[in-house]
Amino acid sequence: MKPDIHFDDEWADEFINCLENNRDLGTWSKFKMAYEAGRQRLVSDFYGLEAPKHLPDLTIYPHQYETARTVIEKMNGKAVLADEVGLGKTIEAGLILKEYMIRGLVKKVLILVPASLVTQWCRELNEKFFIPAVEQRKKPAWENIDVTVTSIDTAKREPHASVIQNIDYDFIIVDEAHKLKNKQTKNYQFVRSLKKKFCLLLTATPVQNKLSEVFHLITLLKPGHLGAEAGFEKKYKEGAAHEQLNELIQKVMIRNRRSDSGMDWPKRIIETVKIHFTEEERRLYDAVCNIKHKWRGSMETQGLSFTVLTLQREVCSSREAAFVTLRNLVEQYQENKEVTEELNNILNVLNEVQQNSKAEKVLSLIKGSDEKVIIFTEYRATQLYLQWFLGQHGIRSVPFRGGFKRSKKDWMKQLFQNNAQVLIATEAGGEGINLQFCHKMINYDLPWNPMRIEQRIGRIHRLGQEHDVEIYNFAVDGTIEDHILNLLYKKIGLFEGVIGKLDAILENFSENQLEDHVSRILLNSDTDGEIRVKMDNLSSIIAPDSSERMSL
Amino acid sequence: MNQTEIHSYLKRFFQEHESPLLEESQGHLHVQLSIDMDKALMNRPFYWHYLEKINGIPNPMKLTLITDPAAAPEDLKGEKVHFGSPRLHQIFNTAMKKGSYSLLYESVKPETASLPLKPWLNINGAVSYLCDHKKDRFFSIGLSLITGEIIEDMYETISGKNFHEQIPDYCFTVAPIIKVRSGIERIKTFLYSGLEKEDHSWASDAVCRWRKDEQLLEGFYQEEEEKPEVYYLEKEALKAQYEPKIEINIINGGLFYFYNHPLHPGKEKHL
Repeated sequence: MKPDIHFDDEWADEFINCLENNRDLGTWSKFKMAYEAGRQRLVSDFYGLEAPKHLPDLTIYPHQYETARTVIEKMNGKAVLADEVGLGKTIEAGLILKEYMIRGLVKKVLILVPASLVTQWCRELNEKFFIPAVEQRKKPAWENIDVTVTSIDTAKREPHASVIQNIDYDFIIVDEAHKLKNKQTKNYQFVRSLKKKFCLLLTATPVQNKLSEVFHLITLLKPGHLGAEAGFEKKYKEGAAHEQLNELIQKVMIRNRRSDSGMDWPKRIIETVKIHFTEEERRLYDAVCNIKHKWRGSMETQGLSFTVLTLQREVCSSREAAFVTLRNLVEQYQENKEVTEELNNILNVLNEVQQNSKAEKVLSLIKGSDEKVIIFTEYRATQLYLQWFLGQHGIRSVPFRGGFKRSKKDWMKQLFQNNAQVLIATEAGGEGINLQFCHKMINYDLPWNPMRIEQRIGRIHRLGQEHDVEIYNFAVDGTIEDHILNLLYKKIGLFEGVIGKLDAILENFSENQLEDHVSRILLNSDTDGEIRVKMDNLSSIIAPDSSERMSL
Repeated sequence: MNQTEIHSYLKRFFQEHESPLLEESQGHLHVQLSIDMDKALMNRPFYWHYLEKINGIPNPMKLTLITDPAAAPEDLKGEKVHFGSPRLHQIFNTAMKKGSYSLLYESVKPETASLPLKPWLNINGAVSYLCDHKKDRFFSIGLSLITGEIIEDMYETISGKNFHEQIPDYCFTVAPIIKVRSGIERIKTFLYSGLEKEDHSWASDAVCRWRKDEQLLEGFYQEEEEKPEVYYLEKEALKAQYEPKIEINIINGGLFYFYNHPLHPGKEKHL
């Protein structure tokens, strides 16, 4: 076949016009310089990457180069980039975008990222890739700007949405794309409604809980690649045909792992720090545990026993965290005298707690050194308390939360880098900020989703980290934290990242949520022994190899 | 282009555009921009607009470009310029704009009076093959506007010669028999017929990829009688992604008057 040919007739018309009117005719020297300039931008081969030649100051790691090449040459410019956290997905995306722009295949670009990352993306594209990306905020000018970076929340709102949908974008990048796993959401529908010539979806956690998440992600990119939804569910539900599925997925998804990136990574030094409750703290914990057995029987108070799990976790974090929940419960059960009385008793016990053992431990760990430390906690109340507590001991800290505006996030990061020793982040703060200038992390309490742990560690254990990374996991002796840490996470080798096969782990779980499993075990077991047996069971399902390894 | 080539290119560029060199080392250039170059490179339209409004005295900027930090003076403040840097890109663009068209005469010093100079058209450009990939094939074609003869690699052939904007003394031009417009048409036809003979398996391959993705798409929406809007959107996107096309773009071109046939240099002394 012979494709259509388009000839540059405009040039010809203008040339004749210039000759006739004797204007804009260049000297021989100018003619030569134009020739040289015009020639250097030609690319004589369909294959290979030009971009690195344009980016002499950028360090490109082999896995990043290969990823960019594979996406362009084998995946035709539509891919899910799913590297583990810290391997430089942004660099890969930048390389791919740059390559298409150099070759003139891409001009109009839309980059959708979480609000907190808009500035950072812009800066990286401009400084590292010389791509003139522009932030769109209050009064966007979508049509006039070639490379736009904005948050999906801004873009999906009217009047912007319909303007954006009418622009013929050549390239769309979505960062933190795991947020698009639910096809019912507005975000999903919005991205679906965009014309995607070339498209990259970036996520470190392509499967968080369910296999169907991958289905929706890939369908967004390439509808039909995994078939229609009904067929997909049926085919892969029973864990059958997984190999076939993997093969299909690998055609549109690239996942580089630390273990096979072939690089000399800084080590992860993991230390479990056993915390011993004070007598008062122990009494509070026990008081909370009692609710579970006491109110399990009746329908009216069944909800209470579920809340116990939450309370147990909170007590392990701080009395402040537990207080918020307790107070809400008192309100909720104000009709029930018996319950209210018990709750009030617990509140009294809570009031007697004078010391936070974990906080004391934090203090002893960081006092006397001026190294930067990140503390992760699940609870805002704990975050506030810690900040106050450290302040009392002359240690400067800054808070970090998902809900901060992006300018505030940037500012907090700046403050942490320059003025404060400690950054205290809640879970939502885990995504997207890069803090490789710090190499110490304290998991003050632990989330129950292993992917979130990986996200946390990825904040500091990433390209650019020059030190070995120290991770301290706090767990209070004889509490549920102990179970989670020792019976589950340690067994599956989570922290070392040696196994690093979290996706495989979660694949084995397909439709079931790990968190649910854990909750159910903890709720429905009467003795520690029972918990141990069940957790053992669970960890051997999650990671069969690792439990074998442990038993050796 | 390596850094040395870039350095000498920049030097030539500024000299060519009336922007004198104030200082130079192996690794940097410090230039006084002309008004024209300030307008072209410094991106300050408001200043120039304002100045012209108040009839002020123009004060074009100076520019320091560093081509090799190791060879430049220490602590020198300036812009690092390398292949791929925005500044160089901008300068290349400016160079292309200023040297797009030419009308030039070969510099000869005739020994006898009245030498005839014959018109040739030279067009330099690229054929681009586009689908989801892209490659360019450079061409430089010369066409005699007297005989219609076509020479390939014209630029290479003539790049060693010298040309001027004015006709040299004792010379006269032979009027073209073929008009410039039809000369361009002939070159176009020449390129098209070359493309006719080429192997276009790259295009068939792209169509193959296209059809494959389209089949997946059809499969996905198979069940739906009335296709939703996104279906058509996706279809369009696939077309944009894969459809093979050929573009012929021109870098520059000129009308050149030669004393000798470009392929057979005579004994004429060049200026």
